[in-house]
Amino acid sequence: MSNRRPASSTPRITDEQIIELVSKLQQLLPELRNRRSNKASASKVLQETCNYVRSLHKEVDDLSDRLSQLLSTIDNDSPQASIIRSLINQ
Amino acid sequence: MNHCVPDFETDDDYLFPATSSSKRHKKSAMGDEDIMELLWQNGQVVMQSQNQRSAGNKKSETMPSTAGREIRSGGIEEETTPCNLFMQEDEMVSWLHYPSDDNSLDLYLRNNDILYPVLPSSAPATTVPSSLPPPPPPLITVPPPRPPIPPLKRVEEEPIQPKFANFSHFSRPNKGVLTGSGPSSSNQISQAITQSTVVESNIGCRGSMSSFGGAGTSSAGTGREPETFDVSASSSPGTGGSGASASVEPSSQKPPPATDDRKRKGRDTDDTECYSEDLEFEYHDPKKKSRGSTSSTKRSRAAEVHNLSERRRRDRINEKMKALQELIPRCNKSDKASMLDEAIEYLKSLQMQVQMMSMGYSMVPMMLPGVQRYMPPMAAMGMGMGMGMGMDHVGMNRGMVPYPSVLPGPPLPNSAAHLGQRFAVPRFQMAQVPIMGPSRGEAAANLSDPMMNSFPVQNANQPRVPFADPYQQCHGLPQTQLAQQQAQHQAQQQDQRGMAAITSKPSSSKDVRYPQRHPTG
Repeated sequence: MSNRRPASSTPRITDEQIIELVSKLQQLLPELRNRRSNKASASKVLQETCNYVRSLHKEVDDLSDRLSQLLSTIDNDSPQASIIRSLINQ
Repeated sequence: MNHCVPDFETDDDYLFPATSSSKRHKKSAMGDEDIMELLWQNGQVVMQSQNQRSAGNKKSETMPSTAGREIRSGGIEEETTPCNLFMQEDEMVSWLHYPSDDNSLDLYLRNNDILYPVLPSSAPATTVPSSLPPPPPPLITVPPPRPPIPPLKRVEEEPIQPKFANFSHFSRPNKGVLTGSGPSSSNQISQAITQSTVVESNIGCRGSMSSFGGAGTSSAGTGREPETFDVSASSSPGTGGSGASASVEPSSQKPPPATDDRKRKGRDTDDTECYSEDLEFEYHDPKKKSRGSTSSTKRSRAAEVHNLSERRRRDRINEKMKALQELIPRCNKSDKASMLDEAIEYLKSLQMQVQMMSMGYSMVPMMLPGVQRYMPPMAAMGMGMGMGMGMDHVGMNRGMVPYPSVLPGPPLPNSAAHLGQRFAVPRFQMAQVPIMGPSRGEAAANLSDPMMNSFPVQNANQPRVPFADPYQQCHGLPQTQLAQQQAQHQAQQQDQRGMAAITSKPSSSKDVRYPQRHPTG
């Protein structure tokens, strides 16, 4: 990964690294992204991340369900079907 | 004092039936210095300690709406002399008069409060009642405590059982509050300090009781009871030592009024059980006293509290990290930074997946022959995305890969290659190609064979590249996917240049990978 952190290679992980990671994580979170980046504490960022991951999981499941429903409505041999299958099988 | 004890006991028996259950009068002969009386009224515990200064004032505070009462009762002092009551039988008698009337009881209590200040001047005997302000609070600090009650019981002598019931209610919420009350912790610490000192004194010295009374009542009045408890609870573990030292102090601190001795002595054993609640009450009292005397202890307690809060904060963060780690599939990293790293990657891949799925979901209905016409424009847009020059080679009938966001056209194989660096994309792209085939007619037919050929490949790829795996692959083997993509492209593409374009842009695709909202426009 281009943004692989060197932290894992060093035995000691500095606080700055952690802070940097947390801030990057914060940028990904929709709720915390709009705020001033330094506002959120690590605890809050982690909490938001967990919530966001869970919501994404739910969304993926929901989309999978819908796609599989869609799959049942179309011809199974059609290319769309394969697309849908690929999406579901991700 | 001893002689008073029996009186008290008998009086209690006598009183209890006479008085309503709500009201309990407890006297503790803490020591010779102070006699604290704990009066328990419905829902309120009134502590009267010998320490007139604290007792009198605090009492009013602790008792709801007692302030007015106190003033009023001030005048009644002579008659009530509740403290005196406890001291002697006749006192008890006068106290008996009160039980029937809660109001009067309050007054009584108030009077006691008021009396306390007066007591020293009025009579040494009356000091006993003033010593009421239960030392319990200090007791609380002495034993380790989160639960102030146990320590209270041990130390407190006052038979404040009913009171305890009430206080325990106070103490419990305090415990919870303790964790939250960082800012108040410093106050609490001082309180705890006072309390601890008081506790010590209670155990041994009546004088301390008085201080408690003062401190406790004041704190109680201010509604800081819960805080004090918490503080003492939290600080007590840390300040056990200080508590011990405090014990030394209290003894010297309060010159025991004569009356106190009477009450105290007999009480110690009896009251300890009752004191658990009282201690809570007394928490407030000792605070005042020790504040001035133990600044260093206060600081150490403050540091302790700080450490505790810091530890709690860290525990919270660690707990959240663990929760996050469980959410991330196949995360076997134990160290924080790499775990956060993986979390970031996973989050991005999840976002991408959701994007693709929703896009596909909305696009599948659109994958009709009619859509083909829009491809060239899409292709142009796709090129704007930097997907690669291979697009024009691939053919106009190929749509563009709507890289992450918006292109409605079906993804091009080239685009797919870029996207393919992400787990889901390659498959998606492959699936798209066949769609184009049939709709295209002979051009499609030309493609369809390679498409068909690619299907097995594609299908094979799908199981091979489950969501988790691509994620892993992204971590370690981005090239693998790219290679797969290339193979697929070769199978279906008649144009080698597409491959070149794809292979030549691994870096760009990587860059493209991450932007969440790629400006396709």
